[in-house]
Amino acid sequence: MSKAIEIENFSYAYPDGTAALSNISLSIEHGQRLTLIGPNGAGKSTLLLAMAGFVKGTGKVFIDGLQINRQNLKKIRTLLGCCLENPDDQLFMPTLFDDVAFGPLNMGLDSEQVKNRVSEAMKTVGLTEMADKAPHHLSAGQRRAAAIATILSMAPKIITLDEPDGSLDPRNRKNLTKLLTGLPQTLIIATCDMNFAAAIADRAVLLDKGLVVADGDATKIMSDPGLMTEHGLEVPGRFKNIARRSITN
Amino acid sequence: MHHAYIDKFAYQDSPVHRLDSRVKFIVTLVFTAAVVSLPRTSPSILTCYAVGPFMILVLGGIPLRFAFKHILLVSPFILVLALTCPLYDRAPVAVAFGPFFWQTSLGWMRCFTILGKFTVTMLALIALVSTTRFSDLLTGLQRLGLPKLLIIQLGFLYRYIFILIDKAHHILRARAGRKLVNLGFAAELKIAAAMLGSLLIRSIDSAEHVNIAMQARGFEGKWHSISRLKIRRCDLLFTLTAASFLLGLHFFVKPMLL
Repeated sequence: MSKAIEIENFSYAYPDGTAALSNISLSIEHGQRLTLIGPNGAGKSTLLLAMAGFVKGTGKVFIDGLQINRQNLKKIRTLLGCCLENPDDQLFMPTLFDDVAFGPLNMGLDSEQVKNRVSEAMKTVGLTEMADKAPHHLSAGQRRAAAIATILSMAPKIITLDEPDGSLDPRNRKNLTKLLTGLPQTLIIATCDMNFAAAIADRAVLLDKGLVVADGDATKIMSDPGLMTEHGLEVPGRFKNIARRSITN
Repeated sequence: MHHAYIDKFAYQDSPVHRLDSRVKFIVTLVFTAAVVSLPRTSPSILTCYAVGPFMILVLGGIPLRFAFKHILLVSPFILVLALTCPLYDRAPVAVAFGPFFWQTSLGWMRCFTILGKFTVTMLALIALVSTTRFSDLLTGLQRLGLPKLLIIQLGFLYRYIFILIDKAHHILRARAGRKLVNLGFAAELKIAAAMLGSLLIRSIDSAEHVNIAMQARGFEGKWHSISRLKIRRCDLLFTLTAASFLLGLHFFVKPMLL
């Protein structure tokens, strides 16, 4: 069976020549919840864009067995849903209904199917009553949930989320954690918030300066105080006991 | 974000709010054309026409203060035009109002007619946008055959204008926080240019991200949409009432007053 995402020796440099990603190789199984952690400027967002085919570098990227290229791009868009960092970029239609319906309509579904997809996605994120609202009438937490609904309505197998916890208060962050952990899809989440990453992911990939520094079990990587501090990160609260024990031993 | 939106009452619920946006738009258009085509020297008939939008505002639960506040906001442009009339048209005319009778100039009559027409048509426009959600208005316009490209542009404008205003406010606040002395006109101009540049770059950045978000959801240049508008019996009743009102004014009231 093909992997959800397979990246082989992918490298990308910005137009000014600065290396953003260097020789990245990753293999992500279906159903995995992976978090991309790393300091600012590590290349997390660029890697997510590369997975969605928006960044073209050297090397190969496969989504559910399909290599990203011009011919496969349409199919890949239905397999992988990409949620951007700023919900205001994701929500560009006058109403929430139109925004959530945008993807399914582009998939060529008929009106009834689109309406079903929209109501299902809105129900999942808990915004059923908000369908006719304009995005600027929603709170930050609701906008974040709505941005996820725009992806869910396309029923992708894989979802990438860039800093989904950004500017959320603890209650909204908790709601988002609950929502994301309840999703059956393969999730790839880029974040700088270690507590949020620890609450969701079962696998962590630590990126720094465009390189994969560590890849493995989320608990193991995030409870390593030496590794985390070296790359400008911190051990999340829930792993502090494990970290203390490992230092004592 | 808490902006004083022009459509802030559009999300209320009333019989007027529930009417189809296409019907409201066409009625407003016909009403505006009827008001604009009235003779330039007949301010009294305008009060009869004003009853229409006034009723819509009352039935829709829109505060009249809100409506007049917005009319005042845009009035300076028309005021300039109206106040020039008495300067170039000084032909004397006699005006009668009930038992009162006085002499004035044709210019002043034109001035009052222009202001009256402006107020009445603005009332109608405010009644339309305050009782119709912008998204419904766009869908209605699309169903009425307006080019899709124009609808998309209007949709984006409505969605992002507030975000742009917010960004501008943030930049202005950041400047105010560090501006301790007046730097003089030249320096202030330079700073303003830099702020505008920053706003432009941020807008381009946002546009790129929106483009990515659209492509990520399968957008390939063709715009699809679902229309949830439906003409019902109450829409037909409203159209009939509006038509009777306008025809009644045109054929019965107008000949009596002119």
